[in-house]
Amino acid sequence: MSIFLVSCEGLRTAAFDQYSYQKATEIKVEAANLLDSAVYPYAEHEQKVEKLREDLQKIIEYEKNKSYNDISLAMWQILSDEEKNLLAGLLKRWENQQQLSPAFVQESKAQVMEAINLIIKYEAAKDKTSKAQLQKLINTY
Amino acid sequence: MDFEELLKEMRNSLLLLVREQYADFSKAGEDTVTQFLEDAREKLRKWTFLLAEELITPAEYEWLLKSQKDLFLMHTLYSAGISKIRLGIFKNKVINTITDVAIKALL
Repeated sequence: MSIFLVSCEGLRTAAFDQYSYQKATEIKVEAANLLDSAVYPYAEHEQKVEKLREDLQKIIEYEKNKSYNDISLAMWQILSDEEKNLLAGLLKRWENQQQLSPAFVQESKAQVMEAINLIIKYEAAKDKTSKAQLQKLINTY
Repeated sequence: MDFEELLKEMRNSLLLLVREQYADFSKAGEDTVTQFLEDAREKLRKWTFLLAEELITPAEYEWLLKSQKDLFLMHTLYSAGISKIRLGIFKNKVINTITDVAIKALL
């Protein structure tokens, strides 16, 4: 019995979270608009970059404090890691280079958008778990 | 550039990465590798063309290749998460079935 309970524990996933879903879509739009500007000097957009970095820090803190949320947290951490080559890494490159080429911005932005879409899709998929639990509750009572 | 050789190298590198860093998700990760590289094929072709046309620099080309590796990690985590959700739903159904059968037998 205890082995069964332990294995069930490992399968638990945080329930769908409307706030997480909304913040992820907001960050996607914010990032998409900002990255279009990466063909211009970084200094002109520094404040917006800092705002996006803050938003990333906030969502990571929020996700960190949810139980059974290891996968969503790991995805946000990869996206926000300046040493990796996704959103935070691209912002860092813009800051270091001061201005990026149009072709590079177009390709790198597509990579970042694909990564954020995965986070959004995963959060949306959690809804099915919540729905299944709700259905069970309705069927029971 | 030999695309097949590049894809082969990337496949080996990604499989190693999954086994070393994401052992818990290695099954889902390994299943994702083939599909992911198939999807990456056109990107690699495009980036190589941009490099040849000097529209991106070698450093930018390298940055994009590394971003593909990081994106792969995201895909692996996503696949693992979806598998976990499906197994969780299955687990709930198993528990419900056992409960139903037990209640019917006892009452």
